[in-house]
Amino acid sequence: MQEKAQGQSILSMNSIEVLYDNVMLAIKGVSVQVPKGGMVALLGSNGAGKSTTLKAISGLLKAERGHISRGEIKFDGTDITEMLAQKRVEMGICHVIEGRRVFEHLTPDENLTAAAPMGMSRSELSVEKDKIYDYFPRLAERRNSQAGYLSGGEQQMLAIGRALVTQPSLLMLDEPSLGLAPFLVAEIFGILQKINREEGLSVLLVEQNALAALEIVSEGYLIENGRVVMHGTAEALKSNSDIQEFYLGGGEGANFHNVKHYSRRKRWLS
Amino acid sequence: MDWVFLSELAINGALTGLLYSLFAIGLVLVYKASSVPNLAQGGLTMVGAYVVLALARDLGMPLWLAIPLAAVVMFGLGFGIERVALRRLAGRPVVMILMLTLGLDIFLRGTTLAIWGGTSRSMELGVSYEPLFLGDIFISRIHLVGAGVALALFVAFMVFFRTRTGIKLRAIADDYMASWSVGISVERGVGLSWALASVVAVAAGVIWGEIQGVDQALSLLLLKGLTVAVLGGLDSILGAIVAGIILGVIENVGAEFLDPLVGGGSRELIVAAVLILTVMIRPHGLFGRHDIERV
Ligand SMILES: Nc1ncnc2c1ncn2[C@@H]1O[C@H](COP(=O)(O)OP(=O)(O)O)[C@@H](O)[C@H]1O
Ligand SMILES: [Mg+2]
Repeated sequence: MQEKAQGQSILSMNSIEVLYDNVMLAIKGVSVQVPKGGMVALLGSNGAGKSTTLKAISGLLKAERGHISRGEIKFDGTDITEMLAQKRVEMGICHVIEGRRVFEHLTPDENLTAAAPMGMSRSELSVEKDKIYDYFPRLAERRNSQAGYLSGGEQQMLAIGRALVTQPSLLMLDEPSLGLAPFLVAEIFGILQKINREEGLSVLLVEQNALAALEIVSEGYLIENGRVVMHGTAEALKSNSDIQEFYLGGGEGANFHNVKHYSRRKRWLS
Repeated sequence: MDWVFLSELAINGALTGLLYSLFAIGLVLVYKASSVPNLAQGGLTMVGAYVVLALARDLGMPLWLAIPLAAVVMFGLGFGIERVALRRLAGRPVVMILMLTLGLDIFLRGTTLAIWGGTSRSMELGVSYEPLFLGDIFISRIHLVGAGVALALFVAFMVFFRTRTGIKLRAIADDYMASWSVGISVERGVGLSWALASVVAVAAGVIWGEIQGVDQALSLLLLKGLTVAVLGGLDSILGAIVAGIILGVIENVGAEFLDPLVGGGSRELIVAAVLILTVMIRPHGLFGRHDIERV
């Protein structure tokens, strides 16, 4: 696959290493590019380093006593490697963390308000909310109930809506499909695709559910043991026999053990 | 039993209870915005009273100026506490933060002792001690004033927690990580909650200082304040008001009956019993938020 030029990438992450507690090396030189207006998936099994990669980009590592020990991350041409998480949100990076952590004791409407930038006027916020309720009509119906009592799908929609209020240009989602029925996953992914098309929002999607993810993204990375072992277009990944075997309905939950093998694969894929 | 006497006990109990509420609102503010129980509220209340006195007596300012100025000073102190002490502990086990606030309380008490000594000073608000009569019922004016202040703060904070800033504070209490993820400044939010609690401490310090004098004993209000906050449900301002009234009435009426039986001192027993029973029977208090079972 042709590597996009730096200038067209909204996000460019180069050889990032992350340490937790100064000892645990969680990712070992991960490079990921997200083209402007593109949708990219990060695939891989449990513990591969997908969430860590997103936290490195959003700056949430610090809250878990992690830090970037090598490499650099550029967002829209600016080096953000050392930037505070809050600053990154202001710049347009928003991270929907795993486990759809909505503010449970707030209503959906208050969840959206909570995420509003301080500088956003009342009228801008209400326009923004209307737009989000248009994308997620289920949320509109329950806007004044307690968020903790929404269904899993509704909570995931709220978590995405809440992120949209921050007006991101790059939206990162950590396993939004986890624990949701297939029809809900399809609904949510469909809406993501729609927002991507209509507003040019760039999306970086972390998924274990490769089958669903590869339907909506244009390219994907496969991460194993803290390294990128494969990178290609969605088409190429879908037709790859190993991906098919392990991720697309083959042995469910199977792990990649032979990383070398996939490094070799990577060579002919790229 | 004489009904007039009983209503007098109940009404004055309710008024005293609202003064406990005044104190408890400070505890609730911090809990509502950071899920941390603030054991330093007694120390803050005492310092609030001392700062007012320092400005009014030592610097000779009129009280109408000294009180708002003390509120500003305490607002800054609240922010400072977050910046210097609490920030390091964000995300650590709550028990560590609990210990920190307890340490802070002791520190504040020691500081006032070192600067102003242990002799009780009077606030001299100038509220008349002439009793007020409601029909045949005797009511203390200062208690009435304090109850009014508590209710005014209650209304102000009910409104505040519906503003955007207030909603962000409630969001922080719900989930630090999720708050960070959408760009909420958790540190500043926690700082603001301590700053507001410190302002409430000035109000409580002035009223309670007028009633019982300004000395280190003011910090012991924590026990009753905590009981009220727990009974109300640690994160509910409305709960603090209702629970204050309930505790005040039970305490005042109950002591009247129990004191002759146990030979005095039953007030403390009643307060302790309410605290213990609440935690055992209804840990969320009357209006506290429940933890929601994940679906
Ligand atoms: N807060 C943390 N502290 C220490 N180690 C962590 C922490 N979070 C993740 N790890 C470790 O880093 C590795 C990658 O984890 P993670 O990024 O969560 O993987 P994934 O999201 O792909 O399941 C795992 O070995 C995990 O145990
Ligand atoms: Mg993960």
